[in-house]
Amino acid sequence: MHMAAFLLKRIAGLLGVLLGMSVLIFGIVHILPGNVAYAILGEFASPAAIATLEAKLGLNDPLPVQYWRWLSAMLQGDFGMSLVMSRPAAPLIAEALGRSALLAGFSFALIAAGGIALGLYAATHHGRTSDKVLTLAQFVLIAVPEFFWAILAVLFFASWMNLLPATGYAPMSSGVASWAAHLVLPVMVLSFGLVAHVSRLTRSSMLEVLDSRYVLAARARGLPEGRVLWRHALPNALLPAITVLAIDAGLLIGGIVVVETVFAYPGLGRLLVFAIERHDLPLLQVGMMVVTAVYAVANLIAELLYAMLNPRIRVAGATA
Amino acid sequence: MVDAALHVEGLSVAYATRAGWLKALDGVSLSIPPGGVLGLVGESGSGKSTVVLALLGLLGPSARVDAQRLDFDGHDLLHNAASIRGRRVGVVFQDAAASLNPALTIGTQVIEPMRTHLHTERRAAWTRGTELLDEMGIPRPAEVMHSYPHQLSGGMKQRVGIATALASEPDLLLLDEPTTALDVTIEAQILSLLDELRKRRNLAMLLVSHNLGIVDRLCDSVSVLYAGRLAESGTTSAVLHHPRHPYTKGLLAALPRPDRPHAGRLAPIPGGLPDLHTLDPGCNFRPRCAFAAEGCEQPQTSHGADHTVSCHRVEEVADLSWPIEAAPTATVSTKRTALPLLEAETMSARFDSGGWLARLLGKAGGVLAVDRVSLSIRTGEVVGLVGESGCGKSTLGRLLLRLLPARTGTLRFGGGVVEAQADRDFRRRAQVVFQNPDTSLNPRQTVSVILQRAVQWFAMAHGTAAVAAEIDRLLDLVRLPRHYASRYPHQLSGGEKQRVGIARALASRPEFLVCDEAVSALDVSVQAAILNLLRDLRDELGVAYLFISHDIGVIAHIADRVAVMYHGTIVEEGPVEDVLHPPYHPYTELLLSSVPLIGKGRRPSPAQSTTAAKPVTGGCKFAARCSRRVGQICDSVTPPLQQAGPGHTILCHIPLLELAAMPHWLGQQALSEEPTP
Repeated sequence: MHMAAFLLKRIAGLLGVLLGMSVLIFGIVHILPGNVAYAILGEFASPAAIATLEAKLGLNDPLPVQYWRWLSAMLQGDFGMSLVMSRPAAPLIAEALGRSALLAGFSFALIAAGGIALGLYAATHHGRTSDKVLTLAQFVLIAVPEFFWAILAVLFFASWMNLLPATGYAPMSSGVASWAAHLVLPVMVLSFGLVAHVSRLTRSSMLEVLDSRYVLAARARGLPEGRVLWRHALPNALLPAITVLAIDAGLLIGGIVVVETVFAYPGLGRLLVFAIERHDLPLLQVGMMVVTAVYAVANLIAELLYAMLNPRIRVAGATA
Repeated sequence: MVDAALHVEGLSVAYATRAGWLKALDGVSLSIPPGGVLGLVGESGSGKSTVVLALLGLLGPSARVDAQRLDFDGHDLLHNAASIRGRRVGVVFQDAAASLNPALTIGTQVIEPMRTHLHTERRAAWTRGTELLDEMGIPRPAEVMHSYPHQLSGGMKQRVGIATALASEPDLLLLDEPTTALDVTIEAQILSLLDELRKRRNLAMLLVSHNLGIVDRLCDSVSVLYAGRLAESGTTSAVLHHPRHPYTKGLLAALPRPDRPHAGRLAPIPGGLPDLHTLDPGCNFRPRCAFAAEGCEQPQTSHGADHTVSCHRVEEVADLSWPIEAAPTATVSTKRTALPLLEAETMSARFDSGGWLARLLGKAGGVLAVDRVSLSIRTGEVVGLVGESGCGKSTLGRLLLRLLPARTGTLRFGGGVVEAQADRDFRRRAQVVFQNPDTSLNPRQTVSVILQRAVQWFAMAHGTAAVAAEIDRLLDLVRLPRHYASRYPHQLSGGEKQRVGIARALASRPEFLVCDEAVSALDVSVQAAILNLLRDLRDELGVAYLFISHDIGVIAHIADRVAVMYHGTIVEEGPVEDVLHPPYHPYTELLLSSVPLIGKGRRPSPAQSTTAAKPVTGGCKFAARCSRRVGQICDSVTPPLQQAGPGHTILCHIPLLELAAMPHWLGQQALSEEPTP
């Protein structure tokens, strides 16, 4: 298979997933009690007023018609209005997404670099004390949920040590130091569990590769240990790590909702929680679509990376 | 010995395990002169591969290595193997597919040793690597240098494996089962290549193998290893043609040989390897030895100088041969009839490739794994099916059991037509024994549960007592003690597991069994016992077999008729004695000439093309590889089915007289002795 055909197929698949998710999201949002008319007019509005507004907004149309209206508007770049804030949803989401991306980006970099590095270290020190200590730490990090670490981190770094701000976000304009200080705790809490996850997996896949015939063959060829590790073992050991990083990108998005809430960080996760609490259905729908798209694209990138590292996907087999 | 290149004296290796030290090797001594080839033979678990890893210093931290002397050309391998590993000592491992890194190009892996050890400049190394691949007989070497391992066939990968081992110009090549994973035709090519290389480069070689035939073909001298100790060593002709140790005698007697079809019963070696955690100071083969007597528990010593044998009774057993397993006294009900039990007519199977997108674009490919094959099997008859891997043998077996959907053709069984969705009656009457008993038995069920399920599923017995009696009957049939019913698969040896697999297949009292490489995963001593069992069962129960195997020796031993398959087509079919001798199909000739026979010596095989050419459509499928092609007709016209004798057909354009004039690759011995009941 050619790379272009491969890419084409994956992108087609991505669009399919997004379409399917849009149906699901639209459906779920409409199962929630109450509709937009209620949300706009409030609990004490008269039934007549609600009926008028429902008719005006087209809420009496069959669901497929409503879905189509929503989808085609989105495809034309109209992402609707936030009911509660009476502002277009798109800039609201874009702003929150930017801040969340900052959080996610730093966290992901830490997860990928830290997880893989720790995993490789543990694998090459297999059976030694450092490996055992790391393994124990990893289990603790994976087993204890994020919100616990969040609270602990706030207590320790903010309340006791007074080193870092406990909550909030500071824009770059208020100084780089302040901006960075606000990011440290959320990024740390967000990465903890996933670093452990990725390093566990990297460790076991590296151990498996180190035990393989081709690594034995490379050693038998008398190659220096460094070359055996970096050139022969690492690229193969990274393949499962990449798959797991893509899955972790999804977990990261889930974690962002928790972490942003605990740290009062004005990102996409907090915006979504806000939209759910206040019944801001148009905002919720668009927000969820954006989250879906981010996750799907992360998976696509992981798959392309996987294909680049794995010649069995990149180069078609020929019977020579 | 003077001027030996490799010197090993008293090599002992122990691995730390939970049960204590496992003594994998105990005082092994070997030596190889420059340019000499030593074969190291033994069954699985004998410690062959441990010798190789010890020579490379790659046994890992959990092993304790001890030796009086372990050196190569003055270099101490015991303490400093790393200094010449990969430089003066090269190694080729068994599974070439697993020994090449899937993520690196062939070129990268071939030039690595040159870059590391000889500090060759990159471009020069690349050129040299290309030359090496060319020397290994790899077509289009420049292209292959840029390929990845998965783009090459198994034989080509092993050639690359040899090239990487030779890249740093070593003086000693360690070969650990270098051809075990390969087809017999490819094996023959690799063996000629190795033979050629050793002459051209004056290479010393250590060939580790369980296959006595290839050892006979390639080696000057042989050492036989049993449970970590040397049983016998000497020149190849002394050890393999005039064996003196009972174990060597047993190994040779257990071997089914294609040049002796239907040669009565084989002689298996009973029992299994001793527990290596506690060393037996006496002869460690004693518990399995047919000649063991008072005095064998004395400490083991070797006798003889050039031909050393470590057996206390070497003089007494000199003229004795390993005893053949006694035939069971059960009544023989040979209900062989002329009526066909199973008849397949123009059956085909096709495997599609490519996903929905490829199908949408009309680019879906596929292979015709079985191409309009007709085959019939009579009651109580054993039909052998041979061919290289990928020729469609197993697929045909599954078609005949209706386990795979057929594209075309009809299947008749016992007079009636078997529909595509086979009914339970057919399932009861036609059963299968798989290759790997490790994966075909559920590890969480006891033998009793495994058999009980089969008995109850086919309603062969009702009520607890009747089912238990039926399980006892099945265990008796496969010669397993009845108390084995309460064991789990992991408590059984490989041969015992396969016996359970056979018992399960027999639970429904079938009339037809497909044995799909049923003995291929077993050591030769165990394989002999299972082959004897299968033959006895045929005689006792009148079951017909389709016996699928890549091993022509096994087929020649057990089959009445043979079908030779190439790329989905049966190219030759007939009684086993007729197929093994001319006239035969050029492909049959290629297979037979490739079989490494003991005593055949270094007879060259006929020329064959090294590329696995895609068969053309329309003409003869074998035309691209055939060394006897007539001309254009082979590529364009489907060959005729020629009658070479009663029930013997050959699918070929070459006139029968010419086919009859082909060489007798197995030697012109008295054809067959009738199987003695």
